[in-house]
Amino acid sequence: MDWTPAPRRSSAMRREQNLALVGAVVSGAVIATGLLMLLVARVNPDGAARVRGVMLDLVTPVWSVVRAPFDGAGRAIDWTGDYLGAVDRNRALTAELAAAKAQLQRAAADRLALVRLQAIDKVREPQRLLLATARIVSATSGSVVRSAMIAAGSNDGVGPGLPVIGADGLIGRTVEAGAHAARVLLLTDPASRIPVIVQRTGQAGLVTGANHPMLELRDRVGADAPLRAGDRLVTSGDGGIFPPGVPVGTIVDASAEPPQVRPAATPVGAAFVMIESAYLPLPASAAPAEPGTPVPVEARRSGGTATSVPRPQSAPVSVP
Amino acid sequence: MSWQAPPWRLMNAAERRRYWWGHWRLGVPVMTTVLMLFIMTVPLIVPAPIFPHLGLLAIFVWSTFQPGLLPAWAAFLLGLVADLLFGQPLGVNAVLFPMTAVFVRVFEARFGRHAHGFDWAVASATIIGFELLTWQFMAVAGKPVPLAPLGWQVLTSIAAYPVVVWVCGRAQRAAFGWGGPGTP
Repeated sequence: MDWTPAPRRSSAMRREQNLALVGAVVSGAVIATGLLMLLVARVNPDGAARVRGVMLDLVTPVWSVVRAPFDGAGRAIDWTGDYLGAVDRNRALTAELAAAKAQLQRAAADRLALVRLQAIDKVREPQRLLLATARIVSATSGSVVRSAMIAAGSNDGVGPGLPVIGADGLIGRTVEAGAHAARVLLLTDPASRIPVIVQRTGQAGLVTGANHPMLELRDRVGADAPLRAGDRLVTSGDGGIFPPGVPVGTIVDASAEPPQVRPAATPVGAAFVMIESAYLPLPASAAPAEPGTPVPVEARRSGGTATSVPRPQSAPVSVP
Repeated sequence: MSWQAPPWRLMNAAERRRYWWGHWRLGVPVMTTVLMLFIMTVPLIVPAPIFPHLGLLAIFVWSTFQPGLLPAWAAFLLGLVADLLFGQPLGVNAVLFPMTAVFVRVFEARFGRHAHGFDWAVASATIIGFELLTWQFMAVAGKPVPLAPLGWQVLTSIAAYPVVVWVCGRAQRAAFGWGGPGTP
């Protein structure tokens, strides 16, 4: 048995072919690494937090400088518009002021009554604490993630998981922070979940984004009570991040499923936002199971005759 | 065409310096792409992804212009930068950018010589595939996004393709001259 030997390749050709092979292997390895990183990101979404912070610190100062002349131009246009519409606005505001003064009189009495009732019930309300006021300097307009970068970071006490509030209402919450910059997840992002109540009916629900100008109201408690277009949504304070009572949006289409909500505040333009501390931050560690806690009937039936959790050396039993 | 070492003995100090410092040109494709990614974080706050994906277009264009200067591993690093910059889960662009580079390289080897309009059509198909895979990979990474708003980015990206080609062409001529590398 014999076969014709393979024709001898020139050394240049061999080199080319070896290089092409190495290139193909490296390309495949790189893509496989990226797929692995995707799975890691699914399991551990908060990985690489420090690198993300450094990236924010690198990008944000540049935009702060670049956008300055555009801000100036925008302000000049605003001033011109203000001068042209001054008379009409003055008349409208005068009428509005008269109505507001009357309302303020009634509200003063209500506030006094509320303070008395709170004193009787010994109500303790957590205080809202302003950490920093910063401007939005850039955004991810070209990505599937709806986020904005603000010029305040961990040096100003801003970390991830804090409420960001604009002049007209809620803007979002911080998700990453560098030393001088932080990233805000906007309400329109599909990952955003805001616990709200409908002001007119008192129903609780969740407002979610959909990469769309309108937000969606989901998981509403008591869905049989109909909503109306024009119903206002404010934060409920559930979840411990957002303080209660911050405007989130207005229902514009109540019959749609899910109901469509127009956000109260838009971060468009040279917007300044306030970063507050979390309203009721979750404790760092779960409360330990108290020894001597009674065990439910089902656990007693399946687990033996012990009527209470044994004191030391056992796994904590969850108490429903 | 093979690379030849410069004649060291015949060069004076200034020429040697110019030769060494001239290597910054090798980074022109990567630097242009980083610049495009940076432009994508323009402070234009829109409720849907309507800004064209300039980073993807730059990867595509440089893979056709200078495939040797944008290997898959460089596209991978650029993808990591994009993921960090946009707050996406690490790995979405880091997979898609090298896939684009490899696809363009294989496609160019098969259908090498063609007109600008054909390139544009291939770029459009690449953009559509990129957005579909982004949709899938975001779901894999645990942050699902709706598919329909990505259609806006497909449209604007297809429209922005000639602009990116023009910019990258200008950069290529500024860095490598009119005939490309290797020609005098």
